[in-house]
Amino acid sequence: MPTADKSATKALHVKIDLQHTEALLKTGALQSAIFNSANFSSIATDAKGVIQIFNVGAERMLGYAAADVVNRITPADISDPLELIARAEALSAELGTPILPGFEALVFKASRGIEDIYELTYFRKDGSRFPAVVSVTALRDAQGAIIGYLLIGTDNTARKRLEQTFQEKNVELENANQAKDRFLASMSHELRTPLNAIIGFTGTLLMKLPGPLTPDQNSQLRTIQSSGRHLLSLINDLLDLAKIESGKVEVHFEQVSCRGVVAEIAATLRPLAEAKGLAFEVEIPTIDIVVESDRRALSQIIINLTNNAIKFTDKGAVRLQVAERLKNGHASTEIRVVDTGAGIRPEDKAKLFQAFEQLETTSARRHEGTGLGLHLSQKLATLLGGHITFESELGIGSTFTVVLPRKAA
Amino acid sequence: MNARVLVVEDNPANLSLMAYLLRAFGCTVLTATDGAEGIELAHRERPDVILMDLQMPKLNGFDAADRMKANPVLRGIPIVAVTAFAMVGDRDKILAHGFDGYIAKPITPETFVEQVQAFVPLGRADGAT
Repeated sequence: MPTADKSATKALHVKIDLQHTEALLKTGALQSAIFNSANFSSIATDAKGVIQIFNVGAERMLGYAAADVVNRITPADISDPLELIARAEALSAELGTPILPGFEALVFKASRGIEDIYELTYFRKDGSRFPAVVSVTALRDAQGAIIGYLLIGTDNTARKRLEQTFQEKNVELENANQAKDRFLASMSHELRTPLNAIIGFTGTLLMKLPGPLTPDQNSQLRTIQSSGRHLLSLINDLLDLAKIESGKVEVHFEQVSCRGVVAEIAATLRPLAEAKGLAFEVEIPTIDIVVESDRRALSQIIINLTNNAIKFTDKGAVRLQVAERLKNGHASTEIRVVDTGAGIRPEDKAKLFQAFEQLETTSARRHEGTGLGLHLSQKLATLLGGHITFESELGIGSTFTVVLPRKAA
Repeated sequence: MNARVLVVEDNPANLSLMAYLLRAFGCTVLTATDGAEGIELAHRERPDVILMDLQMPKLNGFDAADRMKANPVLRGIPIVAVTAFAMVGDRDKILAHGFDGYIAKPITPETFVEQVQAFVPLGRADGAT
């Protein structure tokens, strides 16, 4: 039987281990190795706390010779008295019994058989102080009565210093982050305020509120208007991007109907496509697909992709499709934006999602846009737990697909 | 529309843009350049609606709205924030401070007056008293 074999082997191991352990204890090799360690202070006391053993590590850390302290003082006498008071108060409250702020506070938990390790401050012989981590164990005779305590301590100075450095660095980082946020907030206000007046008064002129316009004035004002709007969308995209990068964009996941989102976008953008003589088609499955997503972020992604499709397509159609897919056992929802536009050259595909990359198009026409749209969309898709993929053939068209994970029910 | 509109905005160009548009469509326009002046003017003139910028010297838009909504005399006047939604979370903050609504900056001149009109209490938009 394999189980029986296993336990037999285990029993044998324990026996051999016990033999080894006994040999170590009998020779006193273990004890002397521990007590001679110069890196740990080992202080053993009697039941009342009076120091009986003070090893070389304790001598080195605390500056006392064993003869200075043995049979003379308790470890409480070389500990920070204020910390002892605080510790006694905390323990009294925790254990519901009054504990004195002396040696009792150091060993009370150990005396009740509770494993105890804590931080305290030791005073050296020369009056200087250092932080230590101390582990306390009760020493018992054969009948189980407490005959003393063993306090093993390590110097905690290096770790404390590191902790402090980390804390200072954290404060610095927090300050820098707040400065950046303030900068972003004021920049957005400062940059947009003048644009408000530029775009606004161009609008009042174009509305001919102040008076009639010549055809030249009209066309030049239209140029100012579209340039102003372009600049505004550039600022908005940059700020959106900065917000995403700094983790300031919060996504709220809720049940989102794909049909609803697509229908809303179709209603908004169909006129734009039809004004260019493009067909605008929507393909949604008869049963609506509901995804766990952030409605606003999802809409923004699809609006960006659809706007691009309309912008880069001169004839044919722009199509929105929603479908479910099962790939490698993972169900996902895909929202596709298909166009019959210029397409993307193979050499341009790699930089498509980079910031400020607007590719040269076959029509050699500079399209208005910030060059941030796809970059931003991809970032948003990542926030939603999804991603954007695309396929494209030069001169035939492109398909951009938003892939959203389907949460397992 | 001949409603009486108080516009509180510290940027002179934006103030004159909004005032120009509102006057062009027949409104009576009162102007203030900070929140404190806005409250004072609102007390004296009792406008039909108040349009308010958020970032202003002396008393900003949020504090001014708080004070107006805490004042029984002014509480009934609709206050509309005109703002660029500078940062995430601003929208919720605006509604939490008692604003009755908001108009996004940059304003769209073609539809601005229409947007303002939507906030004018019924019976006032047509000039009835």
